[in-house]
Amino acid sequence: MKHQLAIPFFLVSRWIKRGNKWTLSLIIFLMSIAFVNLVFVAALFNGIIESSNNQTINTYTSNIFMAPPDGDDAIKNTTEVLATIRTIPGVVAASAQMLVPASLKYQNKKGSWEVLAINPEDEASVTIVNTKMTSGSYLDENDDDQIILGRDIAGGHNGNSTSLSLDGVKVGDKITLTFDSQTKDFTVKGIFYAKFINTDQRAFITQKALHELNPSLDNLATSIIIKTTKKGNEPEVINQLKKTTLQGNFYTWEEVAGLMSSIADSFISINVILSTVAVLIAAVTIFIVIYIDLINKRQQIGILRAIGIRPYVIQTAYVLQSAIYSVSGVILGTGIFYGLLVPYFKAHPFSLPIGDASLIVNPADFTIRAEVIMWVAVVAGLIPAFLITRSKILEAIRGK
Amino acid sequence: MSSKSALITVKNISKIYDLGEIKVRALQDISLTINEGDFLIITGRNGSGKSTLLHQLGLLDRPNQGEIFLNNEEVTSMPEKSRANLRLCHLGYIFQEYALIAELTALENVMLPARMITSPKISRPRALELLRKVGLDKKTNNLPRQLSGGEQQKVAIARALINDPSVIFADEPTANLDTKAAKDVLEIFKQLNEQERHTIVMITHEEEETKYANRLITLSDGKIV
Repeated sequence: MKHQLAIPFFLVSRWIKRGNKWTLSLIIFLMSIAFVNLVFVAALFNGIIESSNNQTINTYTSNIFMAPPDGDDAIKNTTEVLATIRTIPGVVAASAQMLVPASLKYQNKKGSWEVLAINPEDEASVTIVNTKMTSGSYLDENDDDQIILGRDIAGGHNGNSTSLSLDGVKVGDKITLTFDSQTKDFTVKGIFYAKFINTDQRAFITQKALHELNPSLDNLATSIIIKTTKKGNEPEVINQLKKTTLQGNFYTWEEVAGLMSSIADSFISINVILSTVAVLIAAVTIFIVIYIDLINKRQQIGILRAIGIRPYVIQTAYVLQSAIYSVSGVILGTGIFYGLLVPYFKAHPFSLPIGDASLIVNPADFTIRAEVIMWVAVVAGLIPAFLITRSKILEAIRGK
Repeated sequence: MSSKSALITVKNISKIYDLGEIKVRALQDISLTINEGDFLIITGRNGSGKSTLLHQLGLLDRPNQGEIFLNNEEVTSMPEKSRANLRLCHLGYIFQEYALIAELTALENVMLPARMITSPKISRPRALELLRKVGLDKKTNNLPRQLSGGEQQKVAIARALINDPSVIFADEPTANLDTKAAKDVLEIFKQLNEQERHTIVMITHEEEETKYANRLITLSDGKIV
């Protein structure tokens, strides 16, 4: 028995060593492409979802979003609230935001966008919008008639929502803000481009500017965004926040994400569907490749059987050969993926309205997909080998 | 001849190929006995049933009717696993077109059946000895494509002998060989039969090759004539 078990290894080693190198290379290359196709789709969607999540946290809601208590329009005593929040373990920074229901007008273009009154320094410690200025500069605490605009408000870039923008407003231009029946001219101090559609449709003014428009809104906020030490510890920090005397509702970024969350969910569903299709394509491709390879060896299988080599030995040899093809394909595919595609898309990410997406691999997912390829190859090797070793010896020898 | 014991007994075998609307009776009620030490040559015209008979004897196919006994054991209804063991240990088969494994050297081709039952340590010297015997001791590491037709057939002969079979079946082994190579192969068969008492069953339609046989059967339309 042990002598028989050595034969498949012996045969496969000789087939690989002395067989047609082009055929071998082509089969392994096809395996690797099938594997890359399987991994690429998942990695791309992971990248999109991850990018969307990071953009949400870094430019929009931060890790935790504090809303006013039920029944109230605003969080009161924000100075004290911020001070309390900053004492909670796991909190890095916090920033109060006052949403101003205002409209903006530039020449004959007018529209309503989210205008937020902030403390620029606090906001910069929580989000990265201050680092995303494409022209002009970020706000200073004492700016009382300056405004910064998201690129989608400023317009003039042929990008998203251009038709709904102020149609090309530039740094230094004056725009009119109307709020609560009051109007005030603001100078555009800067234009930012966060590459996140929700953020790029926002404008920011300072709390000082809001005070000049409506002093009654001092020390009030419609939201406080809180940055934590790491993504994932939000529930733990929220538990700590709820133990304090703070009045308000706390949400994780995922709960607030809303549209982005549903987009991410859709991407997850699309990913599952495309991955299933990719698995089927990989399975069929591998099956066809190995089946054709085996059909071409029908005569050899017939000869092996004629000289008394038992079918299970022959089947084991072909399954082993398929396993070697698939392992080699997975190794080559991994090389192509990590050596070419990941660096390329890191340098040239897909630019989407929800952020730049590169390829992100979940190691467990990657392993499962590699296993799928290997099992498919093994089955693809076994089925034709099984069928051919069960056919009539003479028919196999004659290649029928 | 009468002192020889029966190695293979064929009782009333028939083989019918079902080609859809047409049924071809390739063998009709064939009975014969092959004794130990026989050098039996089966002749006949193309389509007479020679190869079909050899396939039944060599356990590569099963007859529709009748029985075949190998060493008094009925083999036609045997499970495939047992028939594979018989092909491996008791029968040697030589095909018209050599039927070597292209990726194995001459030595590895010869060793292959022996590796099913013994270690390379034991099978290797035996394979080398057989290759020497057929005159290929200098080409043991050549792949089949690096050998002439006659040399490939000699490798096939060595492979058929590796497990010391009771009987060797040769299906027109000289059909693709030139005169010199064909003579070499036949001389090897003659030597195996006369000096080593191997039982040989060979198909040919070359009249002059029948002189090597000590028994001759002629088939016509699936019947012994």
